[in-house]
Amino acid sequence: MKLEHANLFHLCLMIVMCSIILATIITARRGRRLFIRRIPGLSAIDETVGRATEMGRPMLFSVGLGGIDPPTLQGLGVMTHVARLAARYGNRLLVPVSDPIVLAVAEEATREAWLAEGKPEAHRPEDVRFLSGEQFAFAAGMMGLMMREEVASTFLFGYFYAESLLLAEAGQEAGAIQVAGTPATTQIPFFIVSCDYTIIGDEYYAATAYLTQEPTLLGSLVGQDVSKAILLLLIILGTVLSLIQGEKANLLIRLLAPDLAGG
Amino acid sequence: MFSPIKSTALLWVAIGAAVIGWAGLLYGLSRLRAREKKRLIIATTFLGGLFYVLEFFLPEKSSLFFWTKGNLNPFTPFLAPLGVASLAIGAFAFMLGVINLSLVHGGNIFRRRKGWYNSAAFFFALLAMIIFGLWQSYSKETTPVGKIVHRVYECLFQGAYVSLDSTMFSLLAFYMAAAAYRAFRLRSGEATVLVAAAFLVMMGQVPAGMWATHSLPTNQWVGNLRAENIALWLLGVISMSGLRAINFGVGVGALAMSLRLWLNLERGAFFEQEF
Repeated sequence: MKLEHANLFHLCLMIVMCSIILATIITARRGRRLFIRRIPGLSAIDETVGRATEMGRPMLFSVGLGGIDPPTLQGLGVMTHVARLAARYGNRLLVPVSDPIVLAVAEEATREAWLAEGKPEAHRPEDVRFLSGEQFAFAAGMMGLMMREEVASTFLFGYFYAESLLLAEAGQEAGAIQVAGTPATTQIPFFIVSCDYTIIGDEYYAATAYLTQEPTLLGSLVGQDVSKAILLLLIILGTVLSLIQGEKANLLIRLLAPDLAGG
Repeated sequence: MFSPIKSTALLWVAIGAAVIGWAGLLYGLSRLRAREKKRLIIATTFLGGLFYVLEFFLPEKSSLFFWTKGNLNPFTPFLAPLGVASLAIGAFAFMLGVINLSLVHGGNIFRRRKGWYNSAAFFFALLAMIIFGLWQSYSKETTPVGKIVHRVYECLFQGAYVSLDSTMFSLLAFYMAAAAYRAFRLRSGEATVLVAAAFLVMMGQVPAGMWATHSLPTNQWVGNLRAENIALWLLGVISMSGLRAINFGVGVGALAMSLRLWLNLERGAFFEQEF
């Protein structure tokens, strides 16, 4: 069932959630100290970069098959962090992309990362390359790149589809440490099985906040947690109402999806 | 929403206006200072997002929209054309990919790097696909030359490209077996539960598993113990609840990030760089 237009309940819920997120961002910016729990996959990024540098082998970062959308932008944010570490330690970072617009953004981001570390001359523009816009052609190109360059670490942060297992297994065969994160729930099992560290669900959107410790991003995380608590309460309320009133008469279902409730 | 007007003169005027307009716009953008560019980007992002927010959250029909026919949402008719326009603008970027590929592979051939012949094969395949792809679009299959061109194109597309695509996809089956072999080890209590669940789901999907429990009657409670019912229950109840929980988190995270991008609150990485 596709939602063409929101109803009043959706609008109110969205206003409440957005207000909470904005309020927590404002309080964080005003200096409120916020705690974020340890996320093993994200803590492992620095260690993974260090391992690759010690082995003298390059690293590879993929932002998946998406265009310029929130998951890809989040992946590019993590990529910038990894690029700065690579520049600091003097290691190569290969960034194969499947979208031409993402190519332009990734080229600029890596160039800026090397510039910020004071090593613009060490930056290799050819390490950010377009492979293909087609799913399996991109997968084949990236697998070949991993094998030929003998990467020591791979980072898979973005939206992936069926090629996720191909990429993760190729990294396994190349002997690389793999850190993966994706909001695509259908690909999470493949990454968990094939990668050393996997970031799932909303941990993916917490990545930049965790790595940069930026107050705005931390405040937004707290707002997200409060919003999820509100959704949890609504789920519990809906379950209780279904038990008491039945599905058709359930007040929440009538508010959220009148078509389902038949009214 | 827009009706096409057939006129050759109007077409040329539109093309000319578009070229001059874009050239003027690009020149104007290049003359802006860094701070003004940033403000322009912030304003454009906000207005673009505002359109979609208003279109979704305003009702489909309301007496508030007194100026529209049937009191319909005034933003909805622009949804499809704007989507097509953004796709068309995005398609201009396809040459970026081709140029990047040509530079990388051209450099390999020019410097005779290891495996440079693969780069030569890339150029051969690129040119062959472009030439025969365009040629077959504009040639008639009824002519002798057209027949050959269509045959060659079919060989390249169906014979080469589609076959290679399917081959890559088929690798998944083997990689899945390899990954499952590595993952399903009885290392701990949780791993044992995982292996047991995977076994039950697999038995519910294969004929051998369904045959093993086919004698259980379907019209009694013991019918719930049939392999396919157990598999369905594990996938549809146990697994689905976890999946939906993850989706809730992802959805709220995406909402927060979209809100930050829309209101120019995103920080870190390249979001604060000067132009």
